[in-house]
Amino acid sequence: MTSFKSAALAALLCGVAMPALAQDLTIGRSSEQSSIDPQFSRTGNNQMTSTMIFGRLVEFDANLQVSPGLAESWQNIDPTTWEIKLRSGVTFHDGSAFTADDVIFSLERADEVPNSPAPYTDQVSAVAGMEKVDDLTIRITTNAPAPTLMEDIGRVFIVSKAATEGRSSEDFMTPEVAVGTGPYKFVSWTPGETLELQAHDGFYGTAPEFKDVEVRFISNDAARVAALLSGAVDVIDAVPPTDVATVENSDGFSVFSTQSGRIIYLGLSMRADTAPGVAGADGQPLADNPFKDPRVRKAVSLMIDRQLIVDRILGGSGVPAGQLVPEVLGGHADDVIPDQPDLEQAKALLTEAGYPEGFSLTISSSNDRFPGDADLAQALGQMLTRGGLKVSGVQVFPYNVYSKAATAGEYGAFVFSLGSSTPTSGPSLQALLHSYDKEAGVGAFNRVRYSNAEFDSAIDTALQEFDEAKRIEMLQDATRLVFEDTPIVPLYWQVIHWGLKDGLAITAGLSEDTLPQEIRSAE
Amino acid sequence: MTVFIFRRLIQAVIVLLATSVIVFLGVFAIGDPLEILLPGDATAAERAQVAASLNLDAPLPMQYLTFLGSALTGDFGNSFVFNRPALSVIFERLPATLELTTTALVLSLVIGLPLGLWAGTKPQTLVDESVMTGSILGFSLPNFWQGMMLVMIFSVWLGWLPSTGRGETGTILGIRTSFATWDGFTHLILPATNLALAQIALVIRMTRTGVQETMPLDFVKFARARGLSEGRILFVHVFKTILIPIVTVIGVEFGSLIAFAVVTETIFAWPGVGKLIIDSINALDRPVVVAYILVIVAMFIAINFLVDLLYSLLDPRIRGRA
Repeated sequence: MTSFKSAALAALLCGVAMPALAQDLTIGRSSEQSSIDPQFSRTGNNQMTSTMIFGRLVEFDANLQVSPGLAESWQNIDPTTWEIKLRSGVTFHDGSAFTADDVIFSLERADEVPNSPAPYTDQVSAVAGMEKVDDLTIRITTNAPAPTLMEDIGRVFIVSKAATEGRSSEDFMTPEVAVGTGPYKFVSWTPGETLELQAHDGFYGTAPEFKDVEVRFISNDAARVAALLSGAVDVIDAVPPTDVATVENSDGFSVFSTQSGRIIYLGLSMRADTAPGVAGADGQPLADNPFKDPRVRKAVSLMIDRQLIVDRILGGSGVPAGQLVPEVLGGHADDVIPDQPDLEQAKALLTEAGYPEGFSLTISSSNDRFPGDADLAQALGQMLTRGGLKVSGVQVFPYNVYSKAATAGEYGAFVFSLGSSTPTSGPSLQALLHSYDKEAGVGAFNRVRYSNAEFDSAIDTALQEFDEAKRIEMLQDATRLVFEDTPIVPLYWQVIHWGLKDGLAITAGLSEDTLPQEIRSAE
Repeated sequence: MTVFIFRRLIQAVIVLLATSVIVFLGVFAIGDPLEILLPGDATAAERAQVAASLNLDAPLPMQYLTFLGSALTGDFGNSFVFNRPALSVIFERLPATLELTTTALVLSLVIGLPLGLWAGTKPQTLVDESVMTGSILGFSLPNFWQGMMLVMIFSVWLGWLPSTGRGETGTILGIRTSFATWDGFTHLILPATNLALAQIALVIRMTRTGVQETMPLDFVKFARARGLSEGRILFVHVFKTILIPIVTVIGVEFGSLIAFAVVTETIFAWPGVGKLIIDSINALDRPVVVAYILVIVAMFIAINFLVDLLYSLLDPRIRGRA
């Protein structure tokens, strides 16, 4: 039956050539934006698409470092007043000139987009007032000294006031409203299917090499790889680690890999006097929560062979981590190195902490959040068992179930991840390790409820520092201080992969973006 | 007949209401949409702002009543992810799925019925054996694997057919469809085949069994005795008799084809509702999930109703009873 049908199909299609691709470049992308309105949501997927169409005051390179964008220069007149000079001669896709009015309009609109699931509120929260000095000069006053103001407001995409005023996010489905200053003009978006773009001739920066670009949204990993290998698309992102070798060994394709800023860590809950799933070696409840003792946390860290996890579970798609951010980001301290497995020292620390027989615990993880997350939990279970703890269970859940429970503190030992989206480690350190304080808005991701007053003040002062070199030094000091205490058990940074047709090259990095303007013909 | 339709309508309303409660609670039980929607570095203030704007800070029963109130006016709320009316997000993708499933259904009838008749009239011959063995492959090989194999063979190795997306679509009678262009049509072949394979096997088996059960019956003998041609006996009298169970099953199967086209849609990146619903469940986009399931339930109710009507067309005895 099957062979009969194949033969019939073959006969039907004999001599039918594949339709010629009208596009210069076709990209197969794993994730899709939820709107073309660049201010609707600031999730990574949306920012990636917006970066193709819209400009920002500053540019973030592949490794999130800042350089002038639509703002040519900026300076502090006093600690709460900034003067920003805008680039002259920039035009929007519709030909109109870019001026200070567009910037003020965009920054004001940033936190006012109705029903936005992820507004740019935090990015503009420091702004107290904006004043247009002339067409290309803006003066911004802040509520309090804000050393990272340009990084913050620099993340907001600039829309055209004339084209956007009075329009809703949905109106951005038409090219007349989706007007930016970026390298590509918006042509059309068919949700779940394709995004079509065309190079903007008047782009102020380096002109992109490919004129007509089609982005296809292919969320299934296997389908995306097949699309590349069958020639339907030229470039794909998020090649799963298990398929890297397949793509590399296929004739006519190459793989580009880079370290991501996303850290995978093991959290050990210090919320209460008992951690969920944790009990004595004999199964009886413990008097104290062992994870509140830094020696126990260090011992757990020493039981884990990070290189083995990277080699065996991830097929090499990881870099062992000993702190929050990789070395290309500001605030990385070179001397804070990942713990090497040392079972004897781990045992000694456990004994010193009063757990010579160890204790029992349950390890939890997601199973669809990042490659290998469920396997990772199994491996951690084995490693901790070998290290002298009693692993009474390993449980994995889909991320949509897992994330809520992890935030609610329902797990004692749990695998989680955190991506970096800023040029320095500052905001990540503050969100993940600062003592949790809902009112002050710090420690939002401190799911383990680690608290260290010395570190809190170190990170707070660092983020108040205007001098960038000095700020980075202070962040490094804060990193040294806090990781001495093993607040979380850092495991590895992900390595991510792109698959390309031979003859193409891509520039990509920590931002994990797949941008058509960063793809060019290889030499 | 009017009473019958009226009773069906009341049942439908009760089923829809119950479904909405179950799904609403279900999505709430899974997780917190805010965890998924917010970017990794959102602050507590942003969280509160978003919760308020999506009405997620109200108690659950209030959220449900708000939903029910606007649902009665046809407004199922805006998708959390897309900020567009959930129904329009669904109906934007539904044509792609309907196109795929209809094509698969037509394929399964066009291929399955003749093969089933052929095998049924020649029992225990080589034809019968080959068709039956082939059909076992059709429903026993996992759908997902079949799809991957189709992609491997026809796209990657042979390079004959495209494997992702819908291709170039054109407009026929105001509906955007892949049938309008050759490119679109070639995009449709692999996914439709993938979806149809199990259905073809099912139709073959039901037809064959039907034919074999009906052929020895008295009315066939009498027809032969009256001197009717073998062709007329098979295609008019036998065919009409065996069609009733096939129509029932195909009706139900059409519903499940739509509801479960998700596997095929995922493999072939087909922009239909199946893919939308999986993405929406992962993102806990409650308005879309609830609206989708209600649409599917309504569709099942409508299909079953149509099947009942078709019965009475095919079988005069049922018509008499109604």
